[in-house]
Amino acid sequence: MLALLTSALVGCDAGVPEPNLAPAKAKAAQCVESTADMRKNHMAYLNVHRDKTVIEGIRTTKHSLNECINCHVAPTREDGSAVHYTDEKKDHFCASCHRYVGVKIDCFQCHADRPQVAENINYQHKLSSNNYHLSAKTAKPNVNDWLLLGNSQAQGAAQ
Amino acid sequence: MSSKSATYSELRASKAYYLILGVCVAILGLGAVSFFHLEHTGHYVTGMNNQIVWGLPHVFAIFLIVAASGALNIGSIGTVFRKTLYQKMGRLSALLAIALLIGGLAILVLDLGHADRLLIAMTHYNFKSIFAWNIILYNGFLALCILYIWTMQDRKVKAFYPYVGFFAFSWRLILTLGTGSIFGFLVSRAYYNSAIMAPLFIAMSFALGLAVFIILLFFTFRLDKRELGDLVLNRLRYLLAIFIASAMFLELARHLTALYITQRQGVEQFILLDGGIYTLLFWIGQIVVGGLIPLSLIFCRALKNNHWSLLLASTLVLVGGFVHLYVLIVGGQAYPLELFPNADVQSSFFDGVIHSYTPSIWEWMLGVGGVAIALLLFYVGMKVLRFLPASLADAEVEVN
Amino acid sequence: MSQINAYRRKFMAALGGIAVGGLASGVMLRTVEAGDVPAKPVDQPVSNKVRWGMLIDVNRLTDGGASMVEACKREHGWGNDPKASPEQQSQWIRTVKVTDKLTQHSFTLPVMCQHCAEPPCVDVCPTGASMKRADGIVQVNKHTCIGCRYCMMACPYKARSFVHETLIDQRPHSPRGMGTVESCNMCVHRVDKGQLPACVEAAPQAVIFGDLNDPNSRISQAVKELGGSQIRADLGLNTGVRYLGL
Repeated sequence: MLALLTSALVGCDAGVPEPNLAPAKAKAAQCVESTADMRKNHMAYLNVHRDKTVIEGIRTTKHSLNECINCHVAPTREDGSAVHYTDEKKDHFCASCHRYVGVKIDCFQCHADRPQVAENINYQHKLSSNNYHLSAKTAKPNVNDWLLLGNSQAQGAAQ
Repeated sequence: MSSKSATYSELRASKAYYLILGVCVAILGLGAVSFFHLEHTGHYVTGMNNQIVWGLPHVFAIFLIVAASGALNIGSIGTVFRKTLYQKMGRLSALLAIALLIGGLAILVLDLGHADRLLIAMTHYNFKSIFAWNIILYNGFLALCILYIWTMQDRKVKAFYPYVGFFAFSWRLILTLGTGSIFGFLVSRAYYNSAIMAPLFIAMSFALGLAVFIILLFFTFRLDKRELGDLVLNRLRYLLAIFIASAMFLELARHLTALYITQRQGVEQFILLDGGIYTLLFWIGQIVVGGLIPLSLIFCRALKNNHWSLLLASTLVLVGGFVHLYVLIVGGQAYPLELFPNADVQSSFFDGVIHSYTPSIWEWMLGVGGVAIALLLFYVGMKVLRFLPASLADAEVEVN
Repeated sequence: MSQINAYRRKFMAALGGIAVGGLASGVMLRTVEAGDVPAKPVDQPVSNKVRWGMLIDVNRLTDGGASMVEACKREHGWGNDPKASPEQQSQWIRTVKVTDKLTQHSFTLPVMCQHCAEPPCVDVCPTGASMKRADGIVQVNKHTCIGCRYCMMACPYKARSFVHETLIDQRPHSPRGMGTVESCNMCVHRVDKGQLPACVEAAPQAVIFGDLNDPNSRISQAVKELGGSQIRADLGLNTGVRYLGL
């Protein structure tokens, strides 16, 4: 009887999607914590670190959500389309697990779910509302835009 | 408790009862649809914006919350002031208070940008914020009303009835002072930064709570074919007049004082004179319909024992109270903040211009959905437990 | 125009006076000085030894602050939310044109969160999401914000905005999202790294940013010599943003 049940549970396991580790493996040999530790505690690390950053201004990179994204999420797929947490395909690093297990996270309601791209292909320029046009395609990058162009691309190294 | 044997019984099932339930559930459904839409797409579908931050849903919510605290008054007059005529209505008044409060809170919570973080709101408190205090006060009020009902219904704890009643009465006064202070404590808003907001809300709660109680009492007794005598109705009638008058008096004091404060003359002139819709609503809706006409209906000799004039007066008080809150909340935000006194200002963020607001259908749905919750809870409560006195005929009540 | 020139003459004279007074670091509002924002070690919490402030010389702004608004928009990604109506668009900083009714004297200034020492928005927030950091920067902790908008009712400067729609592709260093309230946060992510806020970098000739608690900082010396007024000073909020030329 027990054997029957365990075999059924093993069958359940077969459907769990594996998160796509390819972008991360291209950048570093291993994660900041061990896989088992991360699986169990990543939300705790993020929850503790976010308070430290917002309230105390401590911006160490080890448990920073931005740094997790910078490593684990490639901004576009191979075909050039943007990757987002809410995509149907569920191939965003966090979505692949979270949407499968049904644990709703609201991080990406506010946080960018992929590293900043210089040329924002999804940028929607709203007509008529502004006196100053902000199209990423037409504006010449100036000294302030270096934030868009170079900074975040230095994955993991930037502070 | 009254020495005459007071029997209470459940509301009987009838076609009318199920009709009321059905309508409430349908409207509640509308409210739910609105909430899910707002939660999914964001508040851009509403008429609220960065200038008019609180709109129609908040008017509905504050209306229900203020009426809730006033509804408990009937019971308190019986318990705290020992007027036996009111004691028979005590259970009903506590039930109505709970129902109205839950309806109002539902609207407030469902309109939040992040309603899913309600648990955070209930566990993270900034005690300098009157809003945080209100969260505690509202929940405590619910608990106290339940305790109050328990002492009225369970013979074993009857001894605690006067104490719980007094505690509930004091708590509700503090709660209403707190609700008024939500507006009164705002240094930035010239229309209502004033200590008088707290007692004004108390006066409004008396009037609105009693008006709702009268209407629902009358119609429920009619629905269930119970007797409601003139003694009770006339007491309630003249009580309502006192409450309307006190609310109007405090409002008068507030405006007169503000007119003397040069800094506030801009917003006062806007509301009282050239605010377009707000001026109309103030004079016609709040003062005439909400105050002068009900007072005339109540004191008119020709209508002395007329039930329908009392009902009409109560309805107009409710309309006037709603309009009062609308002018307060929305009108007070429509007038721009004065960063630079005695200057014309112009910006891309609508400085220096009167802010416009048109409630969207979603806000109406959410608002009436909250009213439906309140009515649903009230009627279901009366059906399942013994809140309704069997009779309030003249022969059955004693006066002291 | 002549009024502005007269002001500039007086201002330069004052500067000359200061230079004669022998202040080594000089209070020339011409160049952005790297030393204005001492870098804080990344793992160290902020403390109240520092109080960040800004001094904006309205008469030295060539465009009334429009470039500051643009820089802020680029830095934080607000201002182009596709679905919100114009009244619902976030606006962290705006230029306000003020014309005195009697004198008809007119000037344009940038208005943003004034980072008050006694912020009304912090007082009213039920969850404490609207907070003042130890170093004086007033911000919204969006993790705890429930979107009740009470802080927006409370702010005398209308500095806060509510996000009315779902957002994507936010700036990684400036998270903003639906259902929360936001406002100028003095570019905390830059300040913590020892950089100036974006708006200050956009108008270096007119804005000094620095530590108000340090008597030797450029801003402290400037406000000591030149003063600096607050908008709605009558409220007694002790703002961190001060203006010259109001």
